[in-house]
Amino acid sequence: MDRRTFLKTASLSSIAFAWGCGTDSDRKIFSRVTASDDSVTGEALWYAATCMECPAGCGIIAKNREGRVVKLEGNPRHPVNRGKLCIRGQAALQGVYDPDRLTAPLLKTNGTFKEISFTKALEILKQKAQTPSERGRDRIRMLTGLTGKPLSDMFTETLAGFGSDRAAVFEPFSYDSLKAAHQAVFKKRMLPSFHMENADFLLNFGADFLETWLSPVEYAGKFKSMHAVREGGKGLYIHAGPFMSLTAANADKFLPVRAGTEYIAAWGILHRLLDNKSYNHLPESFARDLKTAASGYTPSFVEENTGLSQSAQEMLTEKLLAARNPLVLGSASTTPDDTAFLLDTAAALINWILDENLSLYDFENRHAVENTMSTGETAQFFRKAGTDPLDLFLIYNSNPLYSIAYIDPVERLFQNDAVFKVCFSSFMDETARNSDLVFPVRLPLETWDLYESKTGISSILQPAMGKLTHAPAIGDVFLELQGEDSRFDSYRDYLLEHLYAGAGIKSQKDLLGAIQRGGVFEQDGIEAKKTEQVKPVFDKKLSAVLKKAAKACKPRESKGIRFLAVPSLRHFDGRGANKSWLSEIPDPVTSIAWESVLMVHPATLEEYGFEPGDLLEIDAGGRAIRAPVYDYPGVVQDLIVMQTGLGHTDYGRYAREFGENPLTLLKAGAGKGEFTSYLISPDRVRKTGKAGKQPGTDGSRSQHNRKIALSMKGDRAQDHAHAEKPGLDMERFPLTLPYEAGYDEKRDVYPPHEHDGYRWGMIVDLDRCVGCSACAAACYAENNLAVVGKEQIIKGREMAWLRIERYRDRNFDERLIFLPMMCQHCENAPCESVCPVYAPHHSKEGLNNQIYNRCIGTRFCAQNCPYKVRRFNWFEGEWPKPLNLQLNPDVTARTKGVMEKCSFCIQRIKQAHNRAKNENRQIRDGEISPACVQTCPTGALVFGNFLDPKSAVSRLARSSRAYQVLGYLNTKPAVIYLKKVVHDV
Amino acid sequence: MQELTFEKINTTVLDTLSRPGKRYWTVIALLFCGVVLGAACWAYQIFEGVGVAGMNTPVHWGTYLINFVFWVGIAHSGTLISAILFLMRAGWRNPIARAAETMTVFAVCIAGLFPFIHLGRVWLVFYMLPVPNQRTLWPNFQSPLIFDVVAISTYLTVSSLFWYTGLVPDFAIIRDRSVGVRKKIFRVLSLGWSGKSGQWLHYTRGYLLFAGLATPLVISVHSVVSWDFALGVTPGWHTTIFAPYFVAGAIHSGLAMVLTLCIPLRKIFGYERIITVHVLESIAKTIVFTGLIVGFAYGTEVFIAWYSQNIIEMESFRWRAFGAYAPEYWIMVICNSVIPLLFLFRKFRTKIVWLFVISVFVNIGMWFERFVIIVGSVAHDFLPNAWGHYRPTLVEGGIMLGAFCLFFFLFLLFVKHLPSVSMTEMKEHIQHTE
Amino acid sequence: MNTHATTITALFKSEEDTLAAIREIREHGWQVTEVRSPVPAERIAEALGRGKSRVGWFTFAGGVIGFFSGFSLAAFTATRWDLIVSGKPVLSWIPFFIIAFEFTILFAVFGNVLGLLTQLGLPEKDYETNYHEECSGDMYGIEAVADQSEAERLKEVVGRTGTVKRADRMDE
Repeated sequence: MDRRTFLKTASLSSIAFAWGCGTDSDRKIFSRVTASDDSVTGEALWYAATCMECPAGCGIIAKNREGRVVKLEGNPRHPVNRGKLCIRGQAALQGVYDPDRLTAPLLKTNGTFKEISFTKALEILKQKAQTPSERGRDRIRMLTGLTGKPLSDMFTETLAGFGSDRAAVFEPFSYDSLKAAHQAVFKKRMLPSFHMENADFLLNFGADFLETWLSPVEYAGKFKSMHAVREGGKGLYIHAGPFMSLTAANADKFLPVRAGTEYIAAWGILHRLLDNKSYNHLPESFARDLKTAASGYTPSFVEENTGLSQSAQEMLTEKLLAARNPLVLGSASTTPDDTAFLLDTAAALINWILDENLSLYDFENRHAVENTMSTGETAQFFRKAGTDPLDLFLIYNSNPLYSIAYIDPVERLFQNDAVFKVCFSSFMDETARNSDLVFPVRLPLETWDLYESKTGISSILQPAMGKLTHAPAIGDVFLELQGEDSRFDSYRDYLLEHLYAGAGIKSQKDLLGAIQRGGVFEQDGIEAKKTEQVKPVFDKKLSAVLKKAAKACKPRESKGIRFLAVPSLRHFDGRGANKSWLSEIPDPVTSIAWESVLMVHPATLEEYGFEPGDLLEIDAGGRAIRAPVYDYPGVVQDLIVMQTGLGHTDYGRYAREFGENPLTLLKAGAGKGEFTSYLISPDRVRKTGKAGKQPGTDGSRSQHNRKIALSMKGDRAQDHAHAEKPGLDMERFPLTLPYEAGYDEKRDVYPPHEHDGYRWGMIVDLDRCVGCSACAAACYAENNLAVVGKEQIIKGREMAWLRIERYRDRNFDERLIFLPMMCQHCENAPCESVCPVYAPHHSKEGLNNQIYNRCIGTRFCAQNCPYKVRRFNWFEGEWPKPLNLQLNPDVTARTKGVMEKCSFCIQRIKQAHNRAKNENRQIRDGEISPACVQTCPTGALVFGNFLDPKSAVSRLARSSRAYQVLGYLNTKPAVIYLKKVVHDV
Repeated sequence: MQELTFEKINTTVLDTLSRPGKRYWTVIALLFCGVVLGAACWAYQIFEGVGVAGMNTPVHWGTYLINFVFWVGIAHSGTLISAILFLMRAGWRNPIARAAETMTVFAVCIAGLFPFIHLGRVWLVFYMLPVPNQRTLWPNFQSPLIFDVVAISTYLTVSSLFWYTGLVPDFAIIRDRSVGVRKKIFRVLSLGWSGKSGQWLHYTRGYLLFAGLATPLVISVHSVVSWDFALGVTPGWHTTIFAPYFVAGAIHSGLAMVLTLCIPLRKIFGYERIITVHVLESIAKTIVFTGLIVGFAYGTEVFIAWYSQNIIEMESFRWRAFGAYAPEYWIMVICNSVIPLLFLFRKFRTKIVWLFVISVFVNIGMWFERFVIIVGSVAHDFLPNAWGHYRPTLVEGGIMLGAFCLFFFLFLLFVKHLPSVSMTEMKEHIQHTE
Repeated sequence: MNTHATTITALFKSEEDTLAAIREIREHGWQVTEVRSPVPAERIAEALGRGKSRVGWFTFAGGVIGFFSGFSLAAFTATRWDLIVSGKPVLSWIPFFIIAFEFTILFAVFGNVLGLLTQLGLPEKDYETNYHEECSGDMYGIEAVADQSEAERLKEVVGRTGTVKRADRMDE
């Protein structure tokens, strides 16, 4: 960002009016004939903002071209995500341009919605708010998703003005058990962040920190800095749980544990630890009580009830004791049931007894999501809303009718006509559908706001583009509700005051800096108030917990097949389900798009006589879902696993009727406890007799012993042994660099050809790649990839330029290995010579160019591509308005009948060229990063120039782990892979 | 064929050109409807996009190119019979040469249609032609597809000129035996041929040279077609035996098609004494030969795959025989290599019904050979993650039907309006046999 | 032939008869100017002393032209942009040779056709002079010229083996 950003942001409103929702700008590349004073046509403006797709609150910088956001990237200066974004963060962009976005308020009059003006809507709102406040206290209730402090203050003030209580903050994944455990151990309901990067051994009982858990981008990075190969080997990660999630798939060992008994395993470990060794930093009495509490969890008992063999327990204990900085993590975002509390407690206790000063806990930087209601509180809130007198119910940034497991009290509330329900939502989701007034408000990318991603990190939101609709910001709506007596004429002023008052902004200069930086972060010297040193306290409560644990030490009845809902990497809690990229990009573990499948162990399938692809019906508590079966050995036996987030009955064209929502089943287990149980025993599981082809993108899970996604055992020895005897067969074919150096007269018929200063290439470090698919989403956003939809994917016509190939590890059949596959830009590219019209050919910088205008669609190139990375436009790509506004003006949208493929983001290379030319220099190493490289949360992708021996790619290409996929074909790919290093546990 | 005289030949052949009846025209009309249907399907595809066909990633080539190769194959035996057998002085080729050549010309026309149908942007097909343009953009002459463009168009030109040259003396015959408009037309067509001894001298020489040029051409054309695949890296395509293998296959299918066409022709037009059983038998014998070559090629492919010990090659051939397309594979093997062996027994060679049935089987088998090669290879190539399946759609079916209709439409028009047996060559034939 | 010559055309059943007739006519010192036959007849051609056909030269010339034009087309177009494909040299001999080969055949055939047309003297408008339709059937037609005075004897001679079709009037 340049220094004029503040002016830019200030002048945004004018941009907004320069082109509102009504322009037909989508017809042209350029939105406006005359650019506003701060924007240069053809030049991008970057606005720092904050991602609100999950409570993590990552920093983003939004790329604005001619007045509209075309791409989101991680904010490199933001302490949470350090420039990286996850798949959902990349897709957040689509929210703004959602074709199903509401442009005007809708008022329900006898059952049907009618469009009304915003002023009218505001009047209704005022009047609806006024009357109850005269009737009495607390007749208005509000439910919001997690918001920043200023906004929640605004809510509280306004509601107080109407004599009502503060808004209840609800998040579907609220980590109750973790909070409660910390409450019990540290006496504070909090979610400290973990210094995973400093751990050398990680034992995880379910926390899906690569998918949704607390702050996935942050932990993906931290995890890899602990688990990636570096001098002195790599850290060890063992995952014990009922289901091999993406996170578990990245473990060195996945230990199956019967669902709902993870806590037993954890206490079993605790038991062994206490037996093995005495810990003198533990208070005498506590140690005693703990020992007695854990005493029941004998190895044999654990083995019986969890299926975790004694040897495995032994091994885990040893590893924990041997490790310098062991870290134990507890339950996932979706907890099996109340026992999750015991699990998380055990995890906290183990961490404590192994490290008395809890050096891996960061109590200063606690996750914002700690400020939400617990499931119990939520239940309570809705029950009261059902019983107490209530006139007006406000919902903001939340979809309870979809995302709350136990539905009854909520449904009752929404059936109650006495209550006027206002939903501040830009989409006609389930909740909006059942409200009386749907009041669209601006989306995060269009508003000024503040969000405390963590204690001590206030991230700023600013409008990254002019508004597409006339919808006001939620803050301004409430300001209006407050009436004339308010001191502020816009929520922005309110915000600025808050910034000056609270967040340590002293001057205009600070403010400008903060806005440019994207927020107020600790490393800016603005010290967050230090919390007193947090220590576990042994008191009555804790001993009560210990008793509880002792009591819970009884066999868990596990009869019949059970059902577990797990969080989805792509759809989180379902709030992003209408963002087509999220459904189009397949789930990395199952490679299935547009569908929520039932993952079941093959043996269990056999036992129950199900076939993969069968459509099953699962009944529980009078509700049923129907979904296809997917055979997945990564699930323990007698368990059905399904991801959350799909199966909307409303919301939009990309969400409605795709997949099923497992939460609808969870009624059964709910209500009785503090925590949602995402694990239930369904009343019935039966075949419907229907079966079908799944929208899967993978042809085979096995590598058929081909040189594709390679891993090597911890010690590098045999790898060198491999390198020693090169041959011409698949396995021993030497690494052939994609430029003159790769020429070998024994292998090459044709002489090498020169390159002109640069030879672009990429390094893909399989040891770092976790398969999170953020790269794929970034590619969709950057390169205008068409979304083809479920039917076409079943036909095998997805357009992804970059796909995550999921294979079984050749060294360990039960492990998964992920391989990002994109155009390899081969030096001797087979696709080139077969084209009759030179559409693909080699550039002077080694790129394999595809000239869309020249392509006539013979499709020979794709036939001849060993990597099958070329995508053909079988039909005209569709971007329903206003999605077309998201198209990147630097990249042409392809027409039907044309072949396309990864270009290494040539548009970015060109820009770098121009920059270098203007500054009369060479392009620097690392100056260019294609969209995928830019966003990779674990830094698995590196891009650069092979001709520069000092460049990162050249350096990495010299690694002993370097190899080329199917290199023996001697096409000399410019994408060089580094073997994954796996511990043989 | 003693009782066969010059005049007899003339009359038998000219009788076939008599005014056709209702049945003929109804058949013609039906075939035309088929052609229209095919055209409609193509129009729909151009409008909607190639996606209306069943192709996908990884199988980017489907029935369109299968049919392309199939029809080029059919075309070949025409030239084989008229040119190669002519050079070999195989007497039995004379009665069927004309029909075979005609088949060639029409088959090449239809084969030439399919690449167009296959293209994603057919309206830009001229990019493939070396037409001078202001930006000096030219086609890539390294591409096998450009070899195709050159080879197929050469083949079409040559075979039609060859065909016409052969027709000239016959045109003269018709001219001399017709009146009115017809006479006028054939006077023009026959270019005023009058059979002067000088004319015959140059004519025979020119015809010989034609045959001499057509022979290497026909071999090169199907070799080029085979290189569309053999020059690719895909396992199952990337092999040196493809050229001879394809040429043999082409002749195999072509001879079968000749039988399929000549047997009804013979029946309907009473050609029994011209297209004798001996002739059909000779074709059958040749089919046994080509069938053995093709079968040998199948064997070689599998053997080499095993011998190479390249796991990818091995897997791809294992999958061909036992994978998703196993039925197609075994149809291919049985129809092309096993069933033709029945011709080793005289009974099957001489019984018209058997000849016809078996020839149809070979045609089917050869179509599936192309299916197995084109679809079966890419569906299961290098990256297991990209493996996929392909099934043709109705649109493809419609276009394929249209193509067959077009072929028989043209052929029926031909047999009723032009001499379907070369009278001159027949006369020469008996002249020599006397 | 002198101004008092008569042209007689006669039809013969077989090649033998025709040859015999030719021989006899020759013996009498008369000329056989043309023979029309339904099928090629080498011996007649010999008898009439026709030399070898020169069509082949046209064909050969065509072939040579074809080869070079084919190759140079490929080579010329390739050098317009010097695009590198699959790491192969811009001037790739092997693929270009295939192009050259096909062009050779094509142009050779064009040469051949050209040769035929020129040599056969086709298309011929007034082919009908002295032409009899039987010649495209099963008859061999002789066209002999004799001095007017000997016309009758010529008729008689040819009449013995063949059928005399016509003796045209004395040319004035």
